[in-house]
Amino acid sequence: MTPIILDKTSLITLVGSPNSGKTTLFNYLSGSNIKTSNYPGATVEYSVSKLLNKFNITANLLDSPGIVSLNPNSPDERVTIKSLFKHPKFGVPDLIVVTVDSSQLARHLFLVKQLLACKFNVIVALTMADIFFKKGYKISVEKLSKELNCDVVNIDGRNGNGVNELVKTINKNLKETHKKEKIIPVPYQNVDDKQKLIGSYAEIELISDKVIDGIPQNGKQINLKEANAQLSILHPDLKAKNNCYVVDKRTLKIDKILLHKFWGLAFFFLIMAITFSSIFWLAQPIMDLVSNIFGFLADEALIIIGNNWFGDFISTGLITGIGSVMVFVPQIMILFLILGLLEDTGYLARGAMLIDRPLSKIGLNGKSFVPMLSGFACAIPAMMAARTIPNKRERLLTIFIIPLLSCSARLPIFALLLAFLFPGPKAWIGGLVMAAIYILSIFNSVIIAAIINKFSKSVIRETDNSSFILELPAYRVPKIRVVTNNMITSARAYLRKAGPVILVLSVAIWFLTSFPNYNPKLSTQNHTQQGENQQIQNSERLASSYAADMGKFIEPVMRPIGMDWRVGVSLIAAFTAREVFVSSLALIFKVTDQSDETLQNSIVKAMNDAKIDGTGQKLFTPSTIIGLIAFFLFALQCLSTVAVSRKETGGWRIPILQLIIFSSLAYIITFITVNGLRALGLA
Amino acid sequence: MKTASQLTYGEKVKIDEIDDQHPSSRRIIEIGFTPGQEIELINKSVFNDPLAFSIRGTIIAIRKNEADCIKVS
Repeated sequence: MTPIILDKTSLITLVGSPNSGKTTLFNYLSGSNIKTSNYPGATVEYSVSKLLNKFNITANLLDSPGIVSLNPNSPDERVTIKSLFKHPKFGVPDLIVVTVDSSQLARHLFLVKQLLACKFNVIVALTMADIFFKKGYKISVEKLSKELNCDVVNIDGRNGNGVNELVKTINKNLKETHKKEKIIPVPYQNVDDKQKLIGSYAEIELISDKVIDGIPQNGKQINLKEANAQLSILHPDLKAKNNCYVVDKRTLKIDKILLHKFWGLAFFFLIMAITFSSIFWLAQPIMDLVSNIFGFLADEALIIIGNNWFGDFISTGLITGIGSVMVFVPQIMILFLILGLLEDTGYLARGAMLIDRPLSKIGLNGKSFVPMLSGFACAIPAMMAARTIPNKRERLLTIFIIPLLSCSARLPIFALLLAFLFPGPKAWIGGLVMAAIYILSIFNSVIIAAIINKFSKSVIRETDNSSFILELPAYRVPKIRVVTNNMITSARAYLRKAGPVILVLSVAIWFLTSFPNYNPKLSTQNHTQQGENQQIQNSERLASSYAADMGKFIEPVMRPIGMDWRVGVSLIAAFTAREVFVSSLALIFKVTDQSDETLQNSIVKAMNDAKIDGTGQKLFTPSTIIGLIAFFLFALQCLSTVAVSRKETGGWRIPILQLIIFSSLAYIITFITVNGLRALGLA
Repeated sequence: MKTASQLTYGEKVKIDEIDDQHPSSRRIIEIGFTPGQEIELINKSVFNDPLAFSIRGTIIAIRKNEADCIKVS
């Protein structure tokens, strides 16, 4: 007896060419329960959601990355297409909804024809019918449905009209498929036969001719045949059927400026500058708020639980650890909000086109531009963004250099070090130097990319046809829902990827910096203030901890670059997240919290007083501080980045190479900087 | 024979054939560049590469060396 499967949740996969309105439709159909994850074993992201409850269908809705055809052109597309035929987790889709931009009918039918040829159960969703209507044309749903032999539904992109109709059609199709036998799609033959592809377009053109009608305007029907005949007289070679396929006029006008020889570049830098500065200035107050909230919670926890090791664990280990993850969320959200806006308006594709030529000179691609930009907020989402680069060699090289771009975690460190170099009234010089540090980090990444590219055979080990084929979509007003969804998804992805790693590491660092001597005996000096007593106990604890042992162990390595074990400990601690360097320095230099001073000023003061053990020499001098800046510019001081790099490159080889190359580079350059400056007479 | 990379701004031409020796030629056909279609050079990047063509009602940017496999007349 064959069991009757009643409860199997149906799978509906959304497929579509890039810029066909797929994401908008996904947002209309899905609830708030969108989950994004990777295709198992590969780094292609998909979103899955239950269909909106109000539609009364139990089905999983799977979004897939935009594809042009079923012939894969890159490793990413290969995975996407393979998963379409048999998803490792969800199996074969019961139904495929393909989005087709009405004004791009011919180009987008190309994919539809391939899907139908594979015997998939297909529904065509004609998007942006409203825009096509304004141009004076409409597509006959009935005729197209007959030509293709599948259901066709019109969807209005502005207000979602037609979505209900689509759901009805989905329902009907699902019921029919349950009666039928399970579909087994025929794999698409990887045709390299160009004549067949051209032939496929010829068939599509015939269909397109039949289904597109002119709309009566001013009471007069545009007669395609008549218009055709008239046009044929003027241009015997051209046919009027192409007349409905005209580029958006407004887009052409905007491109005259945004892709202008001179103004185009000016706008590019302006837009980059705005994006860049808002990552910092817009995010800063929110980041301060987040870090204050977690500081407050950590203090409260210590008061509630009591000042013992458990209270300290909850407060310093857990809450501060979670805080160090959360503090970057505002920045990441703002970055992805701006990137989402730029993408949805259509500018991002133009930016990639403008920068493709210079980037291709150093083995990168125009499509490396967005990941590199994200790298200034955080390397983790940046590496994930590199998935959009089709060429594997270029993608790996992009991932390789992303840690060199100065991420936001380095900001508090540079701020502290520059406050030491340029105290008080000279602070404005520090601001200028900060800008120079950022430009230097771009410069470094470009140089390193060029060098790695030269040795790409031994480092990257991938060869691929370098290509840049990108549609420049028509400009349009961004859809807030799409943009905000994109922003939330990115923040979630960051939290899920980086969160657990940073949390576990910060607990580990808490342990290493707190034990074995958790309750050090204090020398009986007259510490009148309770708070001060506490601070000294904290420092003693750290000075006799496992981390200090490790610091002393690596001291021989630190000496040549002018540092001692205390800086070594802080550098080890900074591996959880770079900004931990600052709080660790505060701990280790017995910085007492005096109410009339900011923490930064107190640390700077303590750093000024610090002497190298056994000698009267100052530990922090301009040369060692500049050395430290150089160190943080290069060092891959972030284990979460290493973890994500492993995931994204699919192995340990690249992250380990990054760790070795960037750490030794940091050390060598710091060594040269410190000793060079000393030789030149700078203390 | 003239290729798409040699067009000047606003020059409208018809595609004659696609050179199938180029590794990108398959994707170029798939994205809509087929013989008989009319293309126009709409824009060039600041560095003269890539080039943006109008094709089938949209704009596609491709590199110069890729445009070379599009033979036009």
